[in-house]
Amino acid sequence: MRVAVFGAGATGARIARKLATSAEVEQVSVHDPDSQRLEWVVSSLGPTAAAAESPAFEGEADAVVVATPSGTQLDIAAQAVDAGATVVTTTADPGETRALLALDRRARSRRSAVVVGAGYMPGLSCLLARFAAAELDQVDEIHVAKAGTGGPACARQHHRSLSGMAVDWRDGEWIRRPGGSGRELCWFPDPVSGRDCYRAALPDALLLVPAFPGVSRVTARLAATRRDRFTAPLPMLRPPHPEGGVGAVRVEIRGRLGPERKVVVLGSCAQPAAAASAVAAAAVLHARACQSEPGARGLAAIEQPRVLLAAMADQGLRPSRFEGFATFT
Amino acid sequence: MSAGLVTLIRRALVAVLTGMAAAAVIRLRGRQRAVPPQTGGWRELDDGELTGDEASAGPG
Repeated sequence: MRVAVFGAGATGARIARKLATSAEVEQVSVHDPDSQRLEWVVSSLGPTAAAAESPAFEGEADAVVVATPSGTQLDIAAQAVDAGATVVTTTADPGETRALLALDRRARSRRSAVVVGAGYMPGLSCLLARFAAAELDQVDEIHVAKAGTGGPACARQHHRSLSGMAVDWRDGEWIRRPGGSGRELCWFPDPVSGRDCYRAALPDALLLVPAFPGVSRVTARLAATRRDRFTAPLPMLRPPHPEGGVGAVRVEIRGRLGPERKVVVLGSCAQPAAAASAVAAAAVLHARACQSEPGARGLAAIEQPRVLLAAMADQGLRPSRFEGFATFT
Repeated sequence: MSAGLVTLIRRALVAVLTGMAAAAVIRLRGRQRAVPPQTGGWRELDDGELTGDEASAGPG
């Protein structure tokens, strides 16, 4: 299999590295507008990797991973869909997620499978939701939260999302609320532990709702400090860090198992860029190996989450379960 | 404008500005009153749980 990776940032470079060392991949072409960084990344990947000059997809690969900053992925994904390639995107932008999901009909006609939002959150969060849902007869509520950021592009997206409009699903309707509102204390796996989380412009509900028909509530929150909220409407006052620290995701599913109400809480603790790269690389390998159905969807719609989660666990991204909840009737 | 009205406006402005300053301080610094969950804890999923192999699955 030949794979093209767009973006050689904190996440894209790691995706290229994982794919270049995979037995299923013959060639990885890496695209990035920063020629110096591109050369540096490609030179560290070995003989299977090559630098690609063109900023556009030119049909040189069977699969495409788009890991450019959120908001810049749609055009490349559309080009890859038209070429009939398997496409994996890492976007965390709600508007772009909507546009990528809208490629569904076009992707079906071109026999192209498009995985939307294959990162840490969305991405691993969607997989964990699908995995947890297997323990319930009926899923009523899904609540996801994330702490931490990956590279600079991820930090900018975090900043933007706190000043954007959050999109939640409640009783069959989309509810728009301002980012930075709705404080909730969420407990992530250690060492991240308890963080204040707020509504933000996150795409998770857009990906989860179609995958769980009948779900009544879906919310997504982002861990932030009060300073983050206070400065969210302003331009970033300092340049973002090259790599964030340890982050986490938390997925809480509420539903019914027989006559009982049950709550399942899963989480993961990792560096967000490293975790996102593990998810995206595993998603592209899985999509090709299983010859995924054509169309555009998120990882919550996947039929075999265990296969992907096991592949990620082999790379050190192992989910955790919060235990201690009582079931109640 | 009477002296009484000026005093009233001045006091109202002082009250509003004081309130805004207090709100800004609270919003920036917060009040740490978080209590961790008193029961339960996080446990990594084992291979059995991830692959669906019940024989090697852990508790829960």
